[in-house]
Amino acid sequence: MHAYHGCYLRVDLTTGSSERIPLEESLLRSYLGGSGLGVAILLRERAAEVEPLSAEASLAFVFSPLVGSPLTTSAKFAVVSKSPLTQRINDSLSSSGFALSGKKTGHDAIVLTGRATEPSVLIIDESGVRLEPAGALWGLPNREAQSRLRERLGADYQVASIGPAGERLVRYATISHDGRHAGRGGSGAVLGSKNIKAIAVRGSHRCSWGDPAALIDFARKLSEKSFGPATAKYRELGTASNLLVFNRLNVLPTRNFQQGSFAGANAVSPEQLGVSREKTRASCAACTIGCEHLYGLRDGQGNVRLEYENLFALGPLCGIDDGEIVLRACQKCDELGLDTISAGGTIAFAMECAERGFLDEPWLRFGDGAALLRALDMIVSGDGIGRMLAEGSRRMAHEIGRETINFAPQVKGLEIPGYDPRGLQTMALGFAVGSRGADHNRSGAYEVDFSQAVDRFNVGPEAAVLAIETEDKAALLDSLILCKFLRGVFTDFFVDSAEMLQLVTGWNVTASELRATAQRIVTDKKRFNILAGWTPAEDTLPERMLNTPLPEDARAMLSSARLSGLVQAYNVARGWTAEGWLPELDD
Amino acid sequence: MGRGNRRVMTMQVTVELFGIPRARAGVAVTTAVGRCLGDVLADLASRFPELGESCIEGRALRPGYTANVGGERFVTSSDTLLNDGDTVLLLSLDAGG
Repeated sequence: MHAYHGCYLRVDLTTGSSERIPLEESLLRSYLGGSGLGVAILLRERAAEVEPLSAEASLAFVFSPLVGSPLTTSAKFAVVSKSPLTQRINDSLSSSGFALSGKKTGHDAIVLTGRATEPSVLIIDESGVRLEPAGALWGLPNREAQSRLRERLGADYQVASIGPAGERLVRYATISHDGRHAGRGGSGAVLGSKNIKAIAVRGSHRCSWGDPAALIDFARKLSEKSFGPATAKYRELGTASNLLVFNRLNVLPTRNFQQGSFAGANAVSPEQLGVSREKTRASCAACTIGCEHLYGLRDGQGNVRLEYENLFALGPLCGIDDGEIVLRACQKCDELGLDTISAGGTIAFAMECAERGFLDEPWLRFGDGAALLRALDMIVSGDGIGRMLAEGSRRMAHEIGRETINFAPQVKGLEIPGYDPRGLQTMALGFAVGSRGADHNRSGAYEVDFSQAVDRFNVGPEAAVLAIETEDKAALLDSLILCKFLRGVFTDFFVDSAEMLQLVTGWNVTASELRATAQRIVTDKKRFNILAGWTPAEDTLPERMLNTPLPEDARAMLSSARLSGLVQAYNVARGWTAEGWLPELDD
Repeated sequence: MGRGNRRVMTMQVTVELFGIPRARAGVAVTTAVGRCLGDVLADLASRFPELGESCIEGRALRPGYTANVGGERFVTSSDTLLNDGDTVLLLSLDAGG
């Protein structure tokens, strides 16, 4: 078999034992890798029925058939588990050397179960699998922990770690590698619950390719395309350049989604942040796009990666118009290991609760940068309101009561990213039905709203199939795995993907097979969620976003009846029942 | 200036540029003339060569770019009629991040 090792490594952290579990070629062809293979493995491990922070929970680091190939942006891995934030499936992706070295250990995935008896690091290399005491690494921020572990083991190891947030089981803690994060849904808390500070990997097992010469030729052409206009925005400006566009279109979530535009947007825009600051670029391993834009802090205390989602969540969503504060907040989240969207969303929710008298925290106000930084520290220390903040906005709202759940900015418990669904109503559907909650990475339905295909203020059921198309593309990209910023360079994404997969695996795979594969992966995520307790009532938006327009634009109004109609149309178009149950599970 | 004069009058529109179009043109806002989107794009391309080279092909937007009229409707067809005083936004198509 080309492109795969045909097995995954299952490590029982309680006993310290490990075994290689075979992966049949038919299963690999059906689920590919990344998110898809991760869901398949977790279903096999019966992870849906288990409490995600218990010792019995499974956490899978999943590679893909493309990892290690010369295809640009393919050095990626998925972290898949049941989310402690949502209690539903969680697949978060990250990039770079950990994917390359992890696959070289000779496994298509590494699955962790059990719980180490003390804070530990897990080392997987040519000599086997072993646990070592984390010692002084426990408590360190991500970058320092990774650096020290590589000093101890050698620079040829690649390390993924949790920060203090993961150690303290913050429900939206990340797993970090080389400054990037498997960010959403709290996989860092799952690793922390297993007493694992970091995983270090090194290996020498390379996979063969189906047609090496043709693969190199294809990869060269893909790299050339990746230098072209389809990626210019990411390469030259970065995703943060979305900010002013979204502000202009009144879909920039501001002050906990109370508004769709922010008076201070210009002040925190990347155009302004770049003035009088050092600005540099970086890229993942094996990437020719180089989308990462780093901004220097004014006090010289480092450069900070800035993405649109960080910027919106720690800026306008919290009413912050001071770019230096936003950068410092981003840096703090990186080092502590916090998902920026959930951190910003939960703090913004708390700010509104405090301003409306539902919380006795007079210091916590929109626009107060010191309060934002203090709240981030409290999330991890657990002091004061930090204990509630660490639980995410949904649990916090349930604890506060007084109908604050109506304005908690979440779907299925996952805080909503930077797209106001009232003015982007296909995206509203994507958020509502998302298997891991409100999610711009698993549904690209905003692309439909930013087109002539629909009226973004008045989307009808015909948008359902368009939303599905973006969701299926994302499922395939996340399973191959390729970077989504590459999506604009393909002539026909499914046709080109079939060719790529054929070249690496040798399988005679077609575009139509890959369409079916994408649908299968989406359906199996739903299957996982149903086993975990999903009900149709979850597929909705917070009350705030239903039946009341954005203050800037009366047309930006989504009735609950229209959203219900969209969700039903989506379910039927998926081949599920109108409520969203899978036909074979529907009694 | 009413819609009835569309066939004989030269329309002036405000153009707001975002992302790569702004970087190429070197301005955030400008004006352009034309009865339809294609006219406006041709006008912009003639005055901002880098913008024209990167984002515009003849009278049409290159793939990866889109236009929006008044912050309301997204348009790409060169034949899209415009009204005097309209605001046209030019932006990169992809979001994400």
